[in-house]
Amino acid sequence: MPRRLDLLDPYEVAQLGGLELVARGVVEGFLSGLHRSPFRGFSVEFAEHRPYRPGDELRYLDWKMMARSDRLFVKQYEEETNLRAMIVLDVSRSMDWAGRGGRLTKLDYAKRLVAALSLVLLRQRDATGLIGFDDDVRTVVRARARYRHWWHLLAAVAGLDAGVGTAAEPALRRVTDLLRRRGLVIFVSDLLLDRELALRALQFLRHRGHQVMVFHIMDPSELYIDGPPEARFQDPETGASVIARPRELRGMYEETVRATVLRWRAACRGGGMDYHHVLTDMPFGYVLRRAAARRSRLG
Amino acid sequence: MIGFLQPLALLGLLAAGIPPLLHLLGRRQPPTVVFPAIRYLSAAEREHSRRLKLRNLLLLVLRVAAIVFVVLALSRPVVRVPAGSSHPPAALAIVLDNSLSSGAVVQGRSVFDVLRDRAEAIVGRAGSGDRLWLLTADGIPQPVTQESVARLLDSLAPLPVRLDLDAAVRVAASLVAGTGMPTREVVVLSDLQATAFSGGAPADARVLAFEPPPVPDNLGIDSVAVEPRNWSPSGSFLVSVGGEAARRTALRLYLDGSDVARTVVSAGEQVSLAGTARRRGWLVGEARLDPDELRADDRRWGAVLATDPIAVRADSGAGSFVREGITVLQEAHRLGSGDAVVLSDRPAGQRSVVVPPSDPAMVGALNRALAERGVPWRLGALLQGEWVVDGGPVGAHGAAVVRRYRLDGSGTVLATVGGEPWLVRHGDITIVASRLEEGWTALPTTAAFLPFLEALVTRVAVTVSGMVSARPGETVRVPPEAVMLALAGGTVPIAGDRRLVAPLEPGVYFTLGAAGDTVGAVEVNPDPRESLLAPASVRQLRASWGAGAALLGAAAMDRELFGGAGRLALATPLLVAALATVIAELLVSTYGAARRPA
Repeated sequence: MPRRLDLLDPYEVAQLGGLELVARGVVEGFLSGLHRSPFRGFSVEFAEHRPYRPGDELRYLDWKMMARSDRLFVKQYEEETNLRAMIVLDVSRSMDWAGRGGRLTKLDYAKRLVAALSLVLLRQRDATGLIGFDDDVRTVVRARARYRHWWHLLAAVAGLDAGVGTAAEPALRRVTDLLRRRGLVIFVSDLLLDRELALRALQFLRHRGHQVMVFHIMDPSELYIDGPPEARFQDPETGASVIARPRELRGMYEETVRATVLRWRAACRGGGMDYHHVLTDMPFGYVLRRAAARRSRLG
Repeated sequence: MIGFLQPLALLGLLAAGIPPLLHLLGRRQPPTVVFPAIRYLSAAEREHSRRLKLRNLLLLVLRVAAIVFVVLALSRPVVRVPAGSSHPPAALAIVLDNSLSSGAVVQGRSVFDVLRDRAEAIVGRAGSGDRLWLLTADGIPQPVTQESVARLLDSLAPLPVRLDLDAAVRVAASLVAGTGMPTREVVVLSDLQATAFSGGAPADARVLAFEPPPVPDNLGIDSVAVEPRNWSPSGSFLVSVGGEAARRTALRLYLDGSDVARTVVSAGEQVSLAGTARRRGWLVGEARLDPDELRADDRRWGAVLATDPIAVRADSGAGSFVREGITVLQEAHRLGSGDAVVLSDRPAGQRSVVVPPSDPAMVGALNRALAERGVPWRLGALLQGEWVVDGGPVGAHGAAVVRRYRLDGSGTVLATVGGEPWLVRHGDITIVASRLEEGWTALPTTAAFLPFLEALVTRVAVTVSGMVSARPGETVRVPPEAVMLALAGGTVPIAGDRRLVAPLEPGVYFTLGAAGDTVGAVEVNPDPRESLLAPASVRQLRASWGAGAALLGAAAMDRELFGGAGRLALATPLLVAALATVIAELLVSTYGAARRPA
């Protein structure tokens, strides 16, 4: 029985090859269990009615037809192929960090996740673009629907190195310019940025009619604090440091992280955005599946 | 008031600095850890830093307090409270210093009067169950009660004697220790002269010393030496002045009460006061300083035997230099003519100064004559060399000697050359190892020759026996011919063993023979150490009386007296406090740990 790369440990998967191989393997495994496009957009249009067959999802029953004719019909849709998606990837210095050996950095994990996402989108003929940013926009790849476009995206993703600071607002503003029509914005970041500014920019996109998915990438070692009895903890982006005793601050820190995640989740859902808390030891397939399920419920 | 039984343990308080020091050292160079999510850490740290700081400060205070409590407990602190007259029965021995120095007058009142008042006050606080003793300079402890003490104290006065405080405290300590009572104390009321401490084993009792009253600068006469004992009829008193005062004062010499010489002296000086006896016989000489605050050490006595000039004859065997020198001294009336002392090359009279014969063949006859007189010295080989006289009477010391006979024998050696006897004496016979001529010694050709000859006759050949020096109250032995001691009120017989207790009053006391004639004198003078009034340091007190000895003022003495019952030890409460602090520290640190999620 062939191993499904989408369900393996991300670090082990990354050892198998480059972005392309990993993304392909992950997407193949991911799509093998699905009957339709996983990331169905809002622009899906009605095609026809057909008689209900056992096994059909009840949510597609046309209740009005049943009231009029006393017969069960399900609605069939035709997916549009010109959905435009823009992936916004954070490549700041804070992303280039792994809590311990045997684990991908947040940036490496995010690159592979972005490669897989873009492949899935292109396979369902959705135009897909990319914006890489740190404290400014670093890379822009306009959205294209051709399958070969994936190679451009792969090359752009692979060429992104860790930058310096983090400022998401310019990148998200740039999305407004690139997505004239309503589309899908996938925001991949560790969210170690100005929360209020970022949320305001995401809300603005939402108001413009775009669907927004937020992937909050965290290393498991960021969920808790550990280390020597007393240490100077230094921010790789700003160089700012704090002297702290992990043993004394552990509880408060974990509480702070938990509260931060909850605040992000609440803010996103309150604004009609998808929020996914992703740890870098999660299999890629698990993340894709969870995101796809959420999209299905939204649709 | 808090006191510490082990004050050196307080040095351990330095250990209280260890927790803050570790805290500071620990903060100096913490390792750097790169951590992107520092904003979460900063938020947590901001949110809880106040509580953390308070908790850390509390832990630091608790740790320091625990160390301080333990160290304080080890230093054995005690709180003393006045016991009042309701204290449990106690054994108390009071050492009251009425030695010579206690007679010093300060601000119109003698030191002894101040000490006596303090003794009376202490005894007044005693209860009916207390046992009390009083020790004074006579060294005899006397049990006292509140009723008898006033009468006893009134009868006391400063004595011209020295008080050995260490010995007195040891006696007092043994007295209170013998009672077996739980509270045993020795109280010392003294001027605490440093010279009153003789050392020895510390007392086995709690010793409380009253702070001594201020003492004046003092000058006193340390010693007098009568030179020579036999004045014929002139002589001198060699006086040493002691004390601590920087001033100069007058020193006078009295003979039989008449002022015969005077000078001005200061502490540390030694002066010679010359005088001439106006009569023949035994005289009382007194060196006296102008009075100061301590009168008892301003006078010192010596006995003088005044005679006519000593009758001397030098025969031909003594040599021409000796004969000419004696003639000069006789013409100057320093010596008389007669056979009281004969200078010759053989034992020629009752008192003889013998020089070696010029003819070596006569040495054998001289030795035989010496043997007949019972003299243990003999002339041996004739030696030639270069030597220098060491010691001897005036003028002899340092004189060059080139020829001498070896003196074989044993007895009194008055001078040596090359480490061998040169001038010796046995009874009335004095022997010189060299002839007093050129070719033997350079002495005859020096200016010191005549003083040497005079001293050889008056101080060496003629001696005065029967002189005894004593401290007041000291037991001394007198010559066998002395059978009575003449005192101001009459005579007292001397016991058959010829031992007597010197009178307490300083002065000259003559001893009488069986026929009632004066055969000697007892010179009674106080101990010169009593003239040094500088008090001992607290360190010296504790070295002598143990670490528990305390030097106290009046108020502190009130608290300490009978203090066994009024003492509250704080070691146990401090240890309990230390334990409570440790438990609190554990609780605080455990509480912090318990709040950490698993």
